[in-house]
Amino acid sequence: MSTDLGKIVVTDLTVRYGDREVLKDISLDILHGKWTCLVGPNGAGKTTFLRTLLGMAPYAGSIQDNGIEVFGSQSKKGRNVAFVPQQPHIPQGMSVAEYVMLGRSKRDGWGKDSRVSRQYVHKVLTETHLFGMQNNMVSQLSGGEMQRALIARALAQQPNLILLDEPTSALDLHHQITVLNSIELLKEDGVTVISTMHDLTLAAMFAERIIVIKDGKILLSGEANDVIHSAELKKAYDNRIDVHTLSTGRPVIVASKD
Amino acid sequence: MTTATERDAIGRIWNWRITAFCCAILFLVAVAAVSFGPISISFTQVFKTLFNLPGHSTGIDRTVILQLRLPRVILGILVGSSLATSGAVYQTVFHNPLADPYLLGAASGAGLGATIALTSTHHDLAGALPVFAFIGGVLAVAASFLISGKFFADPNTLLLSGIAVGSFATATQTYLQQRHSAELRPVYSWILGDLTSANWGVVKWSAIYIALALAILIRISKQLDGLLLSDEEAYSLGINPKRLRMIAVAAATLATATAVSASGLIGFVGIVVPHLVRGITHRVTNRSLPTIAVVGATFLVLADLGARTLLSPAELPIGVITAFVGAPFFLFVLRNRRKASA
Repeated sequence: MSTDLGKIVVTDLTVRYGDREVLKDISLDILHGKWTCLVGPNGAGKTTFLRTLLGMAPYAGSIQDNGIEVFGSQSKKGRNVAFVPQQPHIPQGMSVAEYVMLGRSKRDGWGKDSRVSRQYVHKVLTETHLFGMQNNMVSQLSGGEMQRALIARALAQQPNLILLDEPTSALDLHHQITVLNSIELLKEDGVTVISTMHDLTLAAMFAERIIVIKDGKILLSGEANDVIHSAELKKAYDNRIDVHTLSTGRPVIVASKD
Repeated sequence: MTTATERDAIGRIWNWRITAFCCAILFLVAVAAVSFGPISISFTQVFKTLFNLPGHSTGIDRTVILQLRLPRVILGILVGSSLATSGAVYQTVFHNPLADPYLLGAASGAGLGATIALTSTHHDLAGALPVFAFIGGVLAVAASFLISGKFFADPNTLLLSGIAVGSFATATQTYLQQRHSAELRPVYSWILGDLTSANWGVVKWSAIYIALALAILIRISKQLDGLLLSDEEAYSLGINPKRLRMIAVAAATLATATAVSASGLIGFVGIVVPHLVRGITHRVTNRSLPTIAVVGATFLVLADLGARTLLSPAELPIGVITAFVGAPFFLFVLRNRRKASA
């Protein structure tokens, strides 16, 4: 079914925080309508890469979306990028429904709460198993519930591109799968998914493409299955991982003990 | 297919009936404030005179209503709504429930500016007091930003530098007062904050600035909810957080500086009223800004009514009333909020 939806082409991308080069001359392609996962050790530059795609980090180089410079003078209109941070700022005194409704602001205009939007919020709350808690305060949610509220807000945004920074880090095994499933559903609408993930097994399960990044450089980028079995992946983690294959053919990646 | 329950499940975020109810209360309080005083005038008389209906008051009553009390009530409405709204906006922008217009140095800066105007040897400068107060307020906020280093990098650093700038401005102001002891009285009465200076002239110029500032703040109020999130999240929702913060702080500073220059330093409104509204409704959303403005106005008109009637014919400084009533009430709301979240 896969039709060619085009791609985001990143060329010679360099991002600096002060004197420190966090991303160094990165060049890669991200296919639209696919799930691309960034993996690599802490401090590799994964979050910075997401922030750059969002438009929050000044950079040198070029980011083109189907041939148009993303942050150039021509573009930007109609760009609808959802961002799910690893550490959100959780407001006091805001209900789950209000929080998720914020995701509608780009489609609806701020504070419109149109009927369509309220129905849509209802739909995503149900999908993320939050319906029934819509009047609870977000500040009183558990870590997992909060993560689902964040995902729900991103879904409510109906984005073209969704950036997720460690979307499963706060979730139990059951909710890891439910949340990732609901993200996967987005691809059916042609949404491009880019996430970082520490859990390589989950990355292998959901992502079609994996990018291995370390010290601001790309070690390897390609089809998930190829990358998982590559030497570069092991190298990124200083050979401290073991890749096993289950009888179903699914790879499982675990940390190796000396 | 959508059922009614589905629609109701995600209700409207702010109920406009609350705002309408508060407006009605404000109207009643305003009429009462025009009515009460050393010369008591009946509600119906006040009502008829305000709307120029047949049977309205004439002579001295009419003068008392239209030239003395009405401008004072309107100034109270303007100042109260400014301080309350600015306080609420500062609290959102700085992610700090304790932020109020006075913490960032805006008010003390305005105070210093006003003192410079009052103690200046050129007496005609007193007429330009609001301009001085406004420039003082803006300069103080700007200084707080510059000292805190990177623009909005860390709200806590900004608040601390605001406190430092505020103390510095207050110290300079005190020094100026001591140097010009002849002008001590007008300066002091100005600092204590009151609405006695109210006349149509003051109401007119302050109404222009305050209406402008409040219009901006209420226009951006829904977007301000985005600032309750991290900058990345706000940006992904279509907000430029830095620009929005700048607009919000500029407008709130304009409102505060104008309020301070019209009525001196009236404490506690900017912090009590937003917490009161948010505490009672359990909502942090900035959609409540219009309601906060209306409740702020009501609070100040009531406080002023108390200030001029409690020790009548003498007048209490209004700041005494706002703190005296505001502080215990504030504690009560805080306590309830703690209970609710426990």
